[in-house]
Parts: sequence; C-alpha cells; structure tokens
Amino acid sequence: MKKLMIAATALLMLGGLAQAATVRVATEGAYPPWNYIDDATGKPAGFEIDLAAELCKRAGVECEVVTNAWDSIIPNLVAGNYDAIMAGMSITDERKQTIDFTQNYYPPDPSVYMVRKGTALDFAAISGKNIGVQGGTIQAGYVKENFGAANTVKEYDTADNALADLNAGNVDAILADGGYVRDIIAGSNGALEIIGPDVKIGGGVGVGLRKGDAELGGKLNAAIDAMKKDGSLDALIIKWFPDMAPGPIFAGN
Amino acid sequence: MLDLLPEPLKAWLGPDVTFWLGYFTNGKHIAFFVSVHYTVLAALLGAACALVFGLMGAALWTSRNPWLRWPGAVYVNMVRGVPDVLFFLFFPLAFEQAMEWMRASAVCTPEAAAERAGQWPPCPDANIFFSTYEYLALACVSLGIVYGAFAANVIAGAMRSVPRGQLEAARAFGLSARQVLWRVHLPQMWIYALPGLSNVWMLIIKATSLLSLLQIADIVQLANRLGAPNFSRSAGLVHGDWRWGYYLVLLVFYIGLTFVSERVFAALTRRASRGMAIEGAAR
Repeated sequence: MKKLMIAATALLMLGGLAQAATVRVATEGAYPPWNYIDDATGKPAGFEIDLAAELCKRAGVECEVVTNAWDSIIPNLVAGNYDAIMAGMSITDERKQTIDFTQNYYPPDPSVYMVRKGTALDFAAISGKNIGVQGGTIQAGYVKENFGAANTVKEYDTADNALADLNAGNVDAILADGGYVRDIIAGSNGALEIIGPDVKIGGGVGVGLRKGDAELGGKLNAAIDAMKKDGSLDALIIKWFPDMAPGPIFAGN
Repeated sequence: MLDLLPEPLKAWLGPDVTFWLGYFTNGKHIAFFVSVHYTVLAALLGAACALVFGLMGAALWTSRNPWLRWPGAVYVNMVRGVPDVLFFLFFPLAFEQAMEWMRASAVCTPEAAAERAGQWPPCPDANIFFSTYEYLALACVSLGIVYGAFAANVIAGAMRSVPRGQLEAARAFGLSARQVLWRVHLPQMWIYALPGLSNVWMLIIKATSLLSLLQIADIVQLANRLGAPNFSRSAGLVHGDWRWGYYLVLLVFYIGLTFVSERVFAALTRRASRGMAIEGAAR
C-alpha cells in the first residue's frame, strides 16, 4: 500500500511537471455571446475564447480552455485547477478580496431587466414579484440587497435555466448583463423585451487570476494594453456584440 | 456527420428530415452521446469497488475478533447513514488535499511555504490538477465506499443465511475452516446475496447522475445544457425550452439500463442456484 502511494505521488508529480508549461483558462460555456458551447463542434466558443487565443499568442504562452460550472469557478481557481478565469466575470471589490483581476477587456456595461413582452413593472415600488438572477453574480447581490425584502429572488445555476423559467412564466423579470440580454432579445423574435432603468454595477469584465500571480497578470495586462491601443479589441467586441452602441470603446484612450 | 449520407438518400428524405438529422448529430450532440461512457464506466467500476468494499466490510463485520468486528460495524452503519452526495463531494476533495499535503512535504522549500502562509496548497509546486478520468476514478471509489457499506450489509446477511448444516457437514468431511469459507460458505452465499446486490446495483446506476458534481460533463448535465432554451444567434439554432425532451431520452436510457440489468441478474441467479437445495431456485 505504501509503495502504491509513493508510486501514485511520483506519477502525479510527473504529470504536474508536464502540465506546467500550458496556462489553463476556465470559462463557463453557458453565457452567449461571451462563452458558449458551439453547436457544430461541441467545444467552447465565443468572444472570450477568441480573445483568450489572441491574448495568449501576444503573451507568448500556450493556452488551453477548460469549462467549469459558474458556482465553483472561483474556488477551483484558488485551488489551482486552472490558472485564469475568462467567463464574463465583472471586476468587483468583493471578488478582489479572493482573487486578482487584470485590467478590463470589456467596458463597464449596465445590467438591464429582461421581461416577457407586455409585462409592466413599477420599479419605484416593486413588491410581490419573482426576480430571477444567476447565483453568485453581481446582479444577484444587487437584487437581493434592493428588492429582496418585498420580492422573491430566485437564483439559478446557469443563465439558461433562469431564461427557461422566465419563458415558462415562473419569474417576472431577469436582471443580467446588457451584452447578454441584448443578444438574447435579438434572437427571441419579439417574445422578450428590456424594461426599466439601467443598473450601473460592476467595473467591466477582466481576467480573474490567483492572488499574487503577478507573472501571468503582467503578461496578460501588457497583451490587453496592446490590443486596446491597436483597436483589435474594439473590433473583436463589435464582432461579438453587434448590438453594442457604436463608437470607439477602448481605442484612443 | 451528415456529409456521410449519399445525395440521393438526402433528396429522398427531404430538407426537414436532413436538417434534424444534421442537428442531432452535430458536435454538441455527439459529445452528449459519447458522454454515456462516463455513466457506464462509473456504474461498472463503482459496482466493482462496492463489491470489494462489501466483501471486506462483511468479512470484518462477521469476524469473531472484536478488533476487526468493530471497524466493520462502524463502516457499515456509519457510511450507510451519510448521504451519497456529501460523500461524493467529501472524498475527492479530501483525497486531493491529502495528496497535495504529501507532495508539499517533498517539494516545497521552507521559503516558498512561508511566503504563502495560511493558503492552500502550501506552495505552487505542490498543486495537483486532476483530469476528467482521474476524477472519474475518484468518483468510482466514492461510489464503492458508499455502496460498499450497503453491499457489506447484504453480504453479511447472506453469509448468515447459509444453512448451518451445510457448514457443519463440510467440517465433518474434514475440511479446514478456510476451505469451508472458500469452497462452501462463499459459493452458497451468492444465491442469498444476489437479490440484495441487484438492489445496490440499481442504486449505483442512479447515483451516477451525481458525476457532474465533479466537473464531469455526464449525460444529465449535458441534457440540461442542450435542452435549455437558446435565443442567442451566435450559439447556433434558436429554440425554446426543450429540456423535457432530453429528460425523456434520459428516462428511457435509465429504464433500458435497468431492463438489461434485470436480465443479467436473472442469469446470474440461475447460475448461482445450480445444485442449491433452495425452494424455487433449482429450476
């Protein structure tokens, strides 16, 4: 038994050495157009997968995209199952206590409310309603704090499941990132719409890193800087988010 | 996948049928079909582990030596009382951290460890990353430990059910205690254990739906993901909530698995009951 344990440890060590060269980037694979599983190939695709490929090329590192459920994506980064998170994750002070972020690669984008067409909600005095959010998101924190007392907040493991319940009439509204909601609304054939005020939360989307991983952070920050300056980041954002307001996003700042 | 079909066949099927054939054989769905092997592997290897743990647990529990009997009793009675989900989460995590702890004591320099005081793993070099198949192996062992306790209970009961006369007769013929155990007691035990073990097997099949907890994209998780409504143009076909359809497919799959298992257990029972003086079994 003891020999077996030593052999197993040795194998794992060898495995660890072989893996040290590649940077593993975790994504959720369920938040289009940021990241989703492509129909044709069955592999992750989306804005962040394209961006990760470009950033890694510029930073001169070998990258591999892995998928991980949203609710355990930060714990598994901290535990070292992968080295970076690119999953539409907004930069917040709360998350910064646990992990580090690079500068943002997607600008602060107000969250919006999505409802079935024709639903009227009075956001000044909303009560007795069901509001859906993906659990562990900035929207979940916002809705619980502001509407939690008078309404029911339903938290879902994926954005897809929240959307399914909105469709089925089990929730009255969903609060989510503007970029995601606009993509969904455009594809919903008029079944869904945006109402109410914009909710300005989050400091843009950045790459999540383990605390103190300055080496990888420095490389990625330099690559993001370069992509912002030469306009290639703007081009990539407009390619994946055609409903975004026109105009320069990062270029020229 | 659709490109493999000859043109005339496609023309005969019409655009609608070819579209759906293409959709249900695209990369996403192929991944779904392939993921069945995780479930089948987990069930088979989990059952093999459960049988090993069950035999060991039963051997300990039925032992005359109290130092062996007590650990056996603790295993059988405590593990049966712990929800399988909890064990599924606990065991792989504890195993990973134990391995990291062992590796840290070998590879971490005191300076590196001091720098990361209070964090896990103690130093970056000690970190271990498990691949999907390593998680699958851990899942099988977890299933084996949890359902091994049930199997141990069944096997211990079956051992007691073997008529004492058979064992006494074997001793009277001059067989040693060990020979009685291996040649008479264990072979005759199976016929009493099989109905209970088939129950445990069914429980293991159902528990394989927990695989997604270990980041293994198994059929249950993929069915949930594929069936979820998609309104995003970039993510492929726009469709509403189709989860019930995918769940229905899973339902049929699990019933099919149960049906096959029942046939296999019936055959095993027939084999185990050969020459046994048990009412209704020696047909």
